[in-house]
Amino acid sequence: MTHDRRIENSAEHHEVSELLPWYVNETLAERDRQRVDAHVGVCASCREDLAAQRRICQAIDAQPAVDYMPVASLKKLQARLDAQAESGGSLAPPKEQAANRLPWRGWMAASIAAMAVAVALLAADRWAQVEARRTQPNYRTVTSSAPRPQGEVIRAVFSPTITLVELQTILDEAQLRIVSGPTEAGVYSLASNSTLTVRASLALLRQHSTVRFAEGTSPEPASGNSP
Amino acid sequence: MLVPAKNSPKERDSALLVAISTGDRRALEELYLSYHRRLARFLSRFTSRYENVEEIINDTFMVVWQSAKDFRNASQVSTWIIGIAYRTALKSFRRQKNHTGALSLDDYPEQTVDPTGDTEVSDWLKHGLSRLPVEQRLTLELAYHMGHSLEEIAAITDCPVGTVKARMFHAREKLRQYLPTLSGAPSDLSARIG
Repeated sequence: MTHDRRIENSAEHHEVSELLPWYVNETLAERDRQRVDAHVGVCASCREDLAAQRRICQAIDAQPAVDYMPVASLKKLQARLDAQAESGGSLAPPKEQAANRLPWRGWMAASIAAMAVAVALLAADRWAQVEARRTQPNYRTVTSSAPRPQGEVIRAVFSPTITLVELQTILDEAQLRIVSGPTEAGVYSLASNSTLTVRASLALLRQHSTVRFAEGTSPEPASGNSP
Repeated sequence: MLVPAKNSPKERDSALLVAISTGDRRALEELYLSYHRRLARFLSRFTSRYENVEEIINDTFMVVWQSAKDFRNASQVSTWIIGIAYRTALKSFRRQKNHTGALSLDDYPEQTVDPTGDTEVSDWLKHGLSRLPVEQRLTLELAYHMGHSLEEIAAITDCPVGTVKARMFHAREKLRQYLPTLSGAPSDLSARIG
């Protein structure tokens, strides 16, 4: 085996060969740099490889950079951050946003629950109507009045754009529940959920712009001060 | 966020990251603009499509925005950011199976190319690099263009130093097969490059 062949088969040769790229970019620690210097001095193969790596490094470095448009890209990032801030309700970085997302998730859960309640109420109402039709004659005389759902104290019409969540919030506030409706005309029959007077419930309903109409279905009991 | 001009780039980056961790959007924008060019060049090794490069850069800075608080100075800010970009790009690359750079040199074992005639060296090298597996191509870029040390590349790519050495070794060997003049015999090429 020749001297050169012995060098190329040595562990030192393989280890130094692996370090050559970082010798080329001048980031090796001083001890490793000296090690490469010493080996390259006696190894023709590594000298050739070193020269080749310098050419490749030079060629890669000389490749023209593509000039992108940082400001246009930044605007897109800003739009994403704005959207995130709006949905999370905060401009703060993620950990704070994660905390802020929790109430939002709670609100979502409440919305879903409210929708489920509304759907259940409507289904129950539909079932009640079917039952009523089954047990009552399917005609009405000119002198008879339309049957009133049990417990109905208020009839109301809401804006067609109202969401189920908004509707449920208004009903909760006025302590009312849906017992029937909406009819084809959009009329809901509402029953009281508490001892709150009908007048008070009506006042609470009427303060919302999404309540188009709200009236009691029976005369208010006479006041104690009335003669 | 205004960082005094006398600060070194490393100090400036650290100061900006601290500001970002408190929710400072202007600091994020400043850091973004200072990194955009080098990240765009680095990511162009993944894909030549501008919209992909832009998307990866913006995904990277969304992570920077979200994770600035978790940065613990275990590495340089630049290493951290480039590491995020590297991992984001790899995920994107793996999602896009029809990527133009997905072919490896092993698919063309018999082919070699030399710069002859009017072929420009940079085009020829770009073509050769595009035949390398993406990890090897990026290791070359990180070392030879961005000037990162072995340890920094290990941190950026989140793998052991031995793996980085192996990737570089295989990249060199494949370039030697594919670009024999550039990788081996000097001939008149060094003069053309120089």
